[in-house]
Amino acid sequence: MRDSLPMKNTSATPLGAGAKRSTPSGGLQAWLPRLVLAPSVAISLFFVYGFMLWTFVLSLTSSRMLPSYDFVGFGQYSRLMANERWWVASTNLMIFGVLFVVICLAIGSLLAILLDQKIRQEGALRTIYLYPMALSFIVTGVVWKWLLNPQLGIQAMVQSWGFESFRFDWITDPDMAIYTLVIAAVWQASGFVMALFLAGLRGIDDSIVKAAQLDGASLPRIYWRVVMPCLRPVVFSAVMILAHIAIKSFDLVVALTGGGPGYATDLPATFMYAHAFTRAQIGLGSASAMLMLGGVLAILIPYLYSELRSRKHG
Amino acid sequence: MTTLSSKTAAPRSVSGWRSPQAKRAFLTILGWSVALVIFFPIFWMILTGFKTESAAIADPTLIFSPTLESYQEVQERSGYARFALNSVAVAFGSTFLALLIAIPSAYAMAFLPTKRTKGTLLWMLSTKMLPSVGVLVPIYLIFRDVGLLDTRTGLIIVYTLMNLPIVVWMLYTFFKDMPKDILEAGRMDGASTLQEVMFLLLPLTLPGIASTGLLSVILSWNEAFWSLNLTTSNAAPLTAYIASFSSPEGLFWAKLSAASTMAIAPILILGWMTQKQMVRGLTFGAVK
Repeated sequence: MRDSLPMKNTSATPLGAGAKRSTPSGGLQAWLPRLVLAPSVAISLFFVYGFMLWTFVLSLTSSRMLPSYDFVGFGQYSRLMANERWWVASTNLMIFGVLFVVICLAIGSLLAILLDQKIRQEGALRTIYLYPMALSFIVTGVVWKWLLNPQLGIQAMVQSWGFESFRFDWITDPDMAIYTLVIAAVWQASGFVMALFLAGLRGIDDSIVKAAQLDGASLPRIYWRVVMPCLRPVVFSAVMILAHIAIKSFDLVVALTGGGPGYATDLPATFMYAHAFTRAQIGLGSASAMLMLGGVLAILIPYLYSELRSRKHG
Repeated sequence: MTTLSSKTAAPRSVSGWRSPQAKRAFLTILGWSVALVIFFPIFWMILTGFKTESAAIADPTLIFSPTLESYQEVQERSGYARFALNSVAVAFGSTFLALLIAIPSAYAMAFLPTKRTKGTLLWMLSTKMLPSVGVLVPIYLIFRDVGLLDTRTGLIIVYTLMNLPIVVWMLYTFFKDMPKDILEAGRMDGASTLQEVMFLLLPLTLPGIASTGLLSVILSWNEAFWSLNLTTSNAAPLTAYIASFSSPEGLFWAKLSAASTMAIAPILILGWMTQKQMVRGLTFGAVK
């Protein structure tokens, strides 16, 4: 079946190249694209942006257990600003997001360069590197909770090899616990960055690299000065997707640290959940969701804008 | 042959290796060592699932007598099968629904584009960048009022909404890559739009559709924000089950590992069998 198609095609193209479709139902044809597109667009835009608007309205009210429409202006926002736990959560998201994105890009690009050296069984390696990405953040949390547990995991393992003074108990240390989230998340997503970069590397014209080699440039120099600049669009998509993962990493916190010790590893998403649902503070929770949204937009829009603009020029 | 060509390409040996063979052997070993490090946590969890509770918290060792005790207990005490069934129903149900809505949309965007197609697509994708907490309260309130809380239908609806932009976008890129002449030829033979889609477009882009579907299944299977917030027991999928398992009984590592292993096994096996599709899907179609 498949083989017969191109055959038919070659004989039909010369005749059909200029001929446009000439069905009588032109009116329907014109509307059809919009008609079939409508559900997807309506669902994505209406539900997401519409519901955000609703959340915004709720954030202006004194809603507690049930939504009420007793407006209190920006009262919930000033309550939020006075809440220390909120500041911890926002700072955590900044630390986590920046470290997560930067380390993933670094490790991912190194792994991609490694696999780009035409080593054997590249396909199998690529699948294994990518495996963590196919796991749920919940499972990642469970696995790392165990590995990071001082009595059971890495610390115990290294100590049993004879290094008695080895310490790795970040997960129980309020100052360091946030970095355990970074470790687990980097483990999960760097293989994904690797796969993206590898695809990008394969798309680069070999002759550019050959030319640089002839000029006597060293391998690290070639990658840094010649190859990486070509990968700018790939870096852009990687950053966007990583940022998206960082923003929605609610489940990782739930499974790995539960926000603890205390509330040292709270993120805005877990803060919001705790207030809107377990503490019956829908108004305050909504306000925190809106602030988080504002923060995300404030960071992403300039980046999106500058990238898209420079791409048009260059 | 390889020695010769690489010598002519690079007059000075790039990284100082005596022979390309040695370099390649070193890099292969390095590659597999990294793979070992990356896979170790998963491997260790699978191993722990086959231990008894006391062996799981004893000194870490590779030598122990494997037992299925933990697996039996997980099934008996909490009914693993019910949660697994919820996961299957929700992941495949939402994927089916998302493909059903997305295929016509992607078709329209790829083959009948207008000036605003690109913009529409960008707007749809932009919704993925917004934090889900922003829409949680309204969805929760609506679901509560119409009785969709803790139902599979409710989760299927939410997951479909969640994955739709990505599914549309991926299908769009796959459809766009298809040579237009083939569809033209079909039209010349008098195929209707529906026939064109059913008998030409879908069979020819099947690998792309499979990658997209696999991604959607994986994303739904792994999703936890919505499943934790919108279900309690009846419709709870595996992610919610494991999360509930880990908090009050956090110390039962063997059972927790057994439950987690059962939750990821389908994905690991499915992923290994369909490596190409999985890589392509998980990278959102970037890897061809």
